Amino acid sequence: MKSEILYPGAFPMVRLELAEGEHIKAESGAMVACSPTIDIESKMEGGFLGALSRKFLTGEKFFFQTLRASRGAGEVLLAPTVPGEIVVLELDGVNEYMVQKDGFLAGADGVVIDSQMQSMSRGLLGGEGFFILKMSGKGMLALNSFGAIHKIELKPGQEYIVDNSHLVAWSTTTTYNIEKATSGWVASFTSGEGFVCRFRGPGLVYIQSRNPGSFGAWVRQFIPVSQ
Amino acid sequence: MVESTPNALCFGDEFSASGAPCLVHVEDHGLTITFFPDRDGAVSRSESLRFSELTVSAGGLDHDQLVATWVGFKGQRTLYLKSSDVIRAFRQAAPDHLSQPLERAAEQVRQVRQRHRMVWSIVGGALLVVVLGLWFGSDVLVELAVDRIPVEWERKLGESTYHDFLAHQDVMKEGPSVEAVKEMIHRLTGQIPESPYTFEVTVVKSDVVNAFALPGGYIVVFTGLMKKAESGEEVAGVLAHELNHVLQRHGLERIVKQLGFVAVVSIVLGNPPGLGGVMKQLGVELMTLKFGRAQETEADLTGLQLLYRAKIDPSGMITFFQRLAEKDEGRVEWLSTHPMSNARAERLKTQLAEMPKQNTEPFTFDWTNVRASQGAPISTLR
Ligand SMILES: [Zn+2]
Repeated sequence: MKSEILYPGAFPMVRLELAEGEHIKAESGAMVACSPTIDIESKMEGGFLGALSRKFLTGEKFFFQTLRASRGAGEVLLAPTVPGEIVVLELDGVNEYMVQKDGFLAGADGVVIDSQMQSMSRGLLGGEGFFILKMSGKGMLALNSFGAIHKIELKPGQEYIVDNSHLVAWSTTTTYNIEKATSGWVASFTSGEGFVCRFRGPGLVYIQSRNPGSFGAWVRQFIPVSQ
Repeated sequence: MVESTPNALCFGDEFSASGAPCLVHVEDHGLTITFFPDRDGAVSRSESLRFSELTVSAGGLDHDQLVATWVGFKGQRTLYLKSSDVIRAFRQAAPDHLSQPLERAAEQVRQVRQRHRMVWSIVGGALLVVVLGLWFGSDVLVELAVDRIPVEWERKLGESTYHDFLAHQDVMKEGPSVEAVKEMIHRLTGQIPESPYTFEVTVVKSDVVNAFALPGGYIVVFTGLMKKAESGEEVAGVLAHELNHVLQRHGLERIVKQLGFVAVVSIVLGNPPGLGGVMKQLGVELMTLKFGRAQETEADLTGLQLLYRAKIDPSGMITFFQRLAEKDEGRVEWLSTHPMSNARAERLKTQLAEMPKQNTEPFTFDWTNVRASQGAPISTLR
């Protein structure tokens, strides 16, 4: 599978060339355009109940789309919902990534997507919800961000602090602790600074340059309260 | 050329930050690590390590990976192994002192997992209760949430709505109507001395047939409703009913149910810029709040008991409810927020029949005068 990022920057698309018989999983609604040889299937991962409980518990997309080049080779154009960069990683079978649930755009067939429940404290304080996606296996993995994507490379034992709402993905060789951004619990809850993650290498941490929650709050102030 | 797939990641200064994929074999004396050719097409190479060179710990996001470190030719190297087969082989082959930290870590991981499972089953159980609660229409959860809202907040909420509302109304400051309503409220609230609310009542000059009580004890009576009543006892019946909506915090229950607990929490946490908007929205909700059937029944029955304790003839309440429900002349606003049913009047009658008879005390005002002061036509007076 060949991949190419078109229009890099705020409004990119990713073009994937599929060989005959090849297929990819994509976030539902990500497909922009495709060759007539491509079939689109909506599949509920984990069965109906699994999908339903995921939907209710995480607000995650009910369906993944499967795009299959069943009638010959062809290409697919994919784009995320929010303005922001796309990054394409190549999973090699040993590198695994945790991805916050809005960060997944598409994955090759060999990529295994696993919904994982976090520990209570990480779920409550981490800001990425109680479920995150674990990506393992082999092949192309496309992630998207809100704003630009920035890669932080951590050597063994090296630490870095990230505001949790800016997290996109991180390797499973890293560990992290959740810490208060400011002193005092009340301040943490009300200042909007909330919580930060102290990551410890080795591994990679991908962050996004904009915070979706803050942006939502900023937009909301311009929406009149309906009477 | 190595055919098999990598099973570990090796970190070190000469590798990229995501680590170099490699294949680890456990042998009797130590480990063999085979690196894969990178994209430049360099040949694969192997490295052998004795167990004695290694320091071992557990690491990774879930502390379930084997982390081995050693000092090589090119400085410190760190190996992350997550394949359970390889970890098992390592634990069998490696000397005891090396696998001890692993055993300890494995035990810790087991404990952490167990704790997570316990926490999650508690949460799952709680969720199940919530779902069942919603499924069976139980108001237990709403009540639980409402219990956490301090009276002070309730009062603030009711007060701002009350003043906002009255600002646009023709308020009656004095006169027989005001005196009469004040006497009713005084008689009724005299029977609820332990209430955390201080009740305030206003009579509004309007033909709208309505009366309402806002959370926190702010009561508004429209002259339209008083004109429809044939005695002070009838109006007192409506007031007793309204007072009990306040005492049972029915208004808050409806808000929590309709806007969600989040709205209330956002008020309680005091998100200053958003507060005004939420308050305004709540105010609108408060005025058009439609009570539920269970709440109506509760307010009816407790209202009846309150009338009884205050020695006000409770039959007025029943006849007034019936008359308001029957009469088709014009709109009765009060019914739109307090849905009436035949069962309501019937239940009140049964309840009243079960109460021991007692002598009632009449009000000091003359209802005919009160109505005349509102300009009611003489012909409708008895
Ligand atoms: Zn009512």
